[in-house]
Amino acid sequence: MSQPEEKNKSTVISVKKDLNTAIIDFLKEGIDKQVFDDVIIPMRVPAKDSFAYVLVRNKSILNDGFFLPPVMPVQGGRMVSSVTRLGKKDKKTAIIMRPCETRATIELAKLGQTNLDNLILISMDCPGVMPISDFLKDTNKQLKNFEDSANNLDDKIMRPVCQICDKSSMISGDLHIGTLGAKKGSFYLISNSEKGNELIEKMGLKQNENINSWKEKVKKISEEKKKKRINKNKELKKKIGGLDNLTDAFGKCINCHNCMSVCPVCFCRLCYFESDKVKQPSDDYLSRAKSKGSIRFLPDTMLFHIGRMEHMSLSCVSCGACEDVCPVDIPIAQIFTMIADETQGLFDYVSGRSLDEPIPFVAYKEEELTDMEDSND
Amino acid sequence: MESKIGVYICECGPNISEKVDIDKVIDAVKDLEGVAVVERYKLLCSEDGKKFLVEQIKKHGLTHLVIAACSPRDHEKTFREVCENAGINPFLFQLANIREQCAWITDDKDEATKKSIRLTKAAIRRVRYHTSLEKKEIEGNPDVLVIGGGIAGIETSLQLASPVRKVYLVEKTSSLGGLINTFEKIYPNMELGSDLIKQKNLEIEKNENIKVFTETEVEKVVGFLGNFEVTVKKTSQDNSSQDFNVGAIVLATGSRLFDPKLTPQYGYGKLDNVITSLEFEKMNLSGKISLKNGKSPATIAIINCVGRDKKGYCSEICCMYSLKFIRYLKEKISNIKVTNFYSDLCIPGKRQQKFYEETKGKNIDFVRSKDIEVNKKADKLEIKYKDENGSKKNLSADMVILAPAVEPTIDASKIAEITSISQGNGGFFAEEHEKLAPISTSTEGVYIAGCAHGPKNIFDSITQAEAASGKILTSLIPGRKIEPEIKVSHISESLCIGCKTCLTVCSYGAISFDEAKKISVVNEVICRGCGNCVAACPSGAANIKHFTFNQLYQEIMEAIQ
Amino acid sequence: MTKALVINNNYEKGLIDFLKNLLENGKVKGVFSLKKINKEGDVTFSLISKPEDLDDAVPFYPIMPVNAGSLMSRFTMKQPATESIIAVLKPCEIRAFVELIKREQGSLENITILSFTCGGVYTHRMVADDLITKNLSKYWDAVKSEKILDDLRPACRSCDEFIPYNSDITVDLIGNKDIDKQLTMILNTEKGGNLVKDIKGKNVEKNLNDKKLENFKDKREKEKKKLFDEIDPKIKGLDNLIDTFGKCISCHACGRVCPICYCTVCEFESPDAEYKPSNFETELNKRGALRVPPGTIYFHLGRLDHIAISCVGCGACEDVCPVDIPLSIIFKKIGESVQKMFDYVPGKNTDEELPLSTFEKEELVEYEE
Repeated sequence: MSQPEEKNKSTVISVKKDLNTAIIDFLKEGIDKQVFDDVIIPMRVPAKDSFAYVLVRNKSILNDGFFLPPVMPVQGGRMVSSVTRLGKKDKKTAIIMRPCETRATIELAKLGQTNLDNLILISMDCPGVMPISDFLKDTNKQLKNFEDSANNLDDKIMRPVCQICDKSSMISGDLHIGTLGAKKGSFYLISNSEKGNELIEKMGLKQNENINSWKEKVKKISEEKKKKRINKNKELKKKIGGLDNLTDAFGKCINCHNCMSVCPVCFCRLCYFESDKVKQPSDDYLSRAKSKGSIRFLPDTMLFHIGRMEHMSLSCVSCGACEDVCPVDIPIAQIFTMIADETQGLFDYVSGRSLDEPIPFVAYKEEELTDMEDSND
Repeated sequence: MESKIGVYICECGPNISEKVDIDKVIDAVKDLEGVAVVERYKLLCSEDGKKFLVEQIKKHGLTHLVIAACSPRDHEKTFREVCENAGINPFLFQLANIREQCAWITDDKDEATKKSIRLTKAAIRRVRYHTSLEKKEIEGNPDVLVIGGGIAGIETSLQLASPVRKVYLVEKTSSLGGLINTFEKIYPNMELGSDLIKQKNLEIEKNENIKVFTETEVEKVVGFLGNFEVTVKKTSQDNSSQDFNVGAIVLATGSRLFDPKLTPQYGYGKLDNVITSLEFEKMNLSGKISLKNGKSPATIAIINCVGRDKKGYCSEICCMYSLKFIRYLKEKISNIKVTNFYSDLCIPGKRQQKFYEETKGKNIDFVRSKDIEVNKKADKLEIKYKDENGSKKNLSADMVILAPAVEPTIDASKIAEITSISQGNGGFFAEEHEKLAPISTSTEGVYIAGCAHGPKNIFDSITQAEAASGKILTSLIPGRKIEPEIKVSHISESLCIGCKTCLTVCSYGAISFDEAKKISVVNEVICRGCGNCVAACPSGAANIKHFTFNQLYQEIMEAIQ
Repeated sequence: MTKALVINNNYEKGLIDFLKNLLENGKVKGVFSLKKINKEGDVTFSLISKPEDLDDAVPFYPIMPVNAGSLMSRFTMKQPATESIIAVLKPCEIRAFVELIKREQGSLENITILSFTCGGVYTHRMVADDLITKNLSKYWDAVKSEKILDDLRPACRSCDEFIPYNSDITVDLIGNKDIDKQLTMILNTEKGGNLVKDIKGKNVEKNLNDKKLENFKDKREKEKKKLFDEIDPKIKGLDNLIDTFGKCISCHACGRVCPICYCTVCEFESPDAEYKPSNFETELNKRGALRVPPGTIYFHLGRLDHIAISCVGCGACEDVCPVDIPLSIIFKKIGESVQKMFDYVPGKNTDEELPLSTFEKEELVEYEE
């Protein structure tokens, strides 16, 4: 997990009423002081049964902002890409998103799918996110449930991958709202970049705040989560290791490709596995059925999942959006997380950690993975 | 239009006919969809064979041709020409290799026949999905850009320039001549460097087909053999740029010396009177060889192989120029004592041994040594070393001349990037093949000559200059058209999502990014059809002509039936 | 009266034996049917070539992992079947296949269709919770006694097209109390008749029981009216649409699983639909704020515009929606209202052309001024 350097100007902001109001007031002030012009923040939808990101220019509309919704209907990385893929935002925009969404945004910037110019990425300590189907069972009750859980640092109602997330306070954007370890009635605003420093300066906030208590709290939580994560991965690997077990895990898959369409880092306009290349003439399907006795139709379910892993595992941020939308409850996020931890681990790479780290796939190093080279015996 | 595929199976004398049951192959394919005729023939690549094929194509009105015979490396070109002569597009043809891949790898006739049937059927199925591809021809520009105005660059320019071929000679300093400008004399004949340079400068000046740019550097190169767009920029005054078009580029950017500060045991940069060979050449050329205090040195130590361990190669020229230095010193300072420290004496060639023999003499010592250290002792320099037997010895001297390793010019990486070539051992430009293609590079149309290629003496630099000229003279003939690769990549505009993964893996710089449309675009003339982009593209937007996904799929599906 | 074959065997076992027989005699080279594919008993559509593999087939299983109409289209779109194939399809799957064939996305050549009067399917949710096996006997009781179960897909509960069109053989299920002992196959075409030629069973003249099926149709239509009336206020006017589609996450899963949505790249995912920076500025200046990603409702209205004429009301869309938007009823309602304008039942007649892309000189005169 990245630790912000001491030279960054962190500050403390006080909370008078509640955290959400404090953050909205902060954002309004930012607009007033012309530190930024626009804000992207989640809001309740008109029917109040869900949440959505809203790009706001009119300050008064910010009053409806809801900075930490209990659900993640659209992964923020995908959302930011929809705004700046074809060109940068001319006006400075502050964007509030969870750490994994910020990481996905940075990963997409490396892939030419997002332009980060004029964007100020603000993350926060994330308690996790509820699976959307659980939330929809009783939206009011579940919202309260989420808020209570978040306050008690209890994550058992959250997405399974949130429960093993050791990067829930990782800072890869420009600023971070640090609630952990903060004195009651306040939160840290931690800067991670020049953009962040500039914002704190322009807002006229007191700088160079000591954030050690935040660091310590975060370290403790992250280490606990990491232990849990390693164990979970081990368990899962045992359960689905080997092609037969893996194929069985996907027995209910209906090839709807929902997982792919909500994944922030699956950005191809036409997925290879939906293109002409996987459409075969009837004779070929029939000869495959003949040689095996019978084939599921459409075949190649595993080809899709393993192929998708091959294409994006190095960029997976383990947000869990995929698992949220699987109609047959395949633990797809847990599986992809287990694999991504290994593939990214091979290269000591953490997806979205820093814009300066090229994705290992296309970064050429003369000496690399030497332990995998053939030993001549 | 219905396709009419003609299938011809070559006996290749006894080569195929004795190992493959050709009649069985004919039986297996004659009823396949689209097959109009199947015949066997003794030797299809012979003149009679080729004539037979042309007649057959015309007689049956064939639209596609499949031949089961030898390796495509052998006769794909031959049979493509047959197609052209018979009026079919040469790419509506597929060659199944039933010789090297069937007849020649097994004694089992049954297996060889079975495999031949598979490969022939696969070729027939594939050829149905072939599309006509047209040859491209572009006018090749015969002009040449020579980067570097040292002896290699000068010689190349003089060799190439003619009324039908202009040469642009670009030099970053203010005058031509390179390192020779600093040499009083040149070994082994000890002729005057200045004479050589004066003569060469005159020849260049007289030659109206050579355009010289001094105090100029190359900024940008885009293109391919026969068509390079070059931008050069003046390094002084107004920094103005100029653009021009050439057909080939010769990199004659020369060398510099390894910095002995990186081997502090020799005291360079710390102790007075420890100088490099180049500094000594310049001192010698100025007319007075003297110590820092103005006095004339009485004893001199020449230390060779400075930095050799760090660089990992021998720089070829130092042993010889050390001998030259001894000659200079004997000439100019009476009773001079010189000790030459060396690890190995490198004096190959027709006259070099004699040069050495005639340099030896009274007060001239050659000491084989290692672990050399130079320190200050009173007002002299003390050289500590281990001799051949490993015994620790020391020697006192007034001046120490270091012979550092030869390195490529400081701009080597920049030039390599600009011309899309790679740097090899030691950072020198990498030749295409160490033995078989020592002058060309991985970019077609870019050649190397002189020390840019590796440490070498003037003689060898001139030889390479002539070689590079020879290559250009025979490949870039004025008026001759260039045929770029036809089987190139194509990126679907509607599918490309602009992630630039293909760009990062293209070794030829053939893919550029259209910022307006946010998609990658292939330059079909530079593309070599290697397929890296096709493999890298996650959504399959890139495809190689004549090796499209579908064509390969059809062939493989049939082969593994 | 139509020819029919009655086999003295349980409906499922009887059909499996029949299909096995067809493969063994080489009358067909492949069978499409739902089948258990692993030891966990997961069921999915399969292409079966070996007779023994049919032991795991469950041709009437009350689930629809994928609308098999789109699967038949995938099978035949690059190349019509070259060998004889029999496919066990639900009525809406056949209709979807026919609608796709009208759009050049498949072919019926060499394909024999076997269908049945359809009691509806359970949702993916129930599949995920492994509740199907538990509910099987309840399901078949309901089919036999023409009841409509609460936990079926809403689209199925309100489906009045449960009698298949264009099937060569129809198995009589709904309201048929004898299915545990007897398999009744109505032979609608000569093709169907030829396939059963050598099968042991009683050759009779029989139709489907009109009275029972009318009764069932009434029940279904009542349910449809109820669901349509409920949905009406939710989709009238932009404000109501915003409320109903507010939780949409723009995953487009509905489009992807819809059998009629066949475009390789959906227009709403193509470069044409991407907002440029200037588009965002225009919206921000106009309204002060904008939901991102944009175009949530636009996608649904656009999809309706494109496919409503062919919507077969299978309910795959609603079943796959991660946020439970009542899509199938919305699309079914709008679909039917468009189809009624042209007296068009999608997938009913293979020769009937698509009304929206067919020019008739005299048409919709009632809308002329």
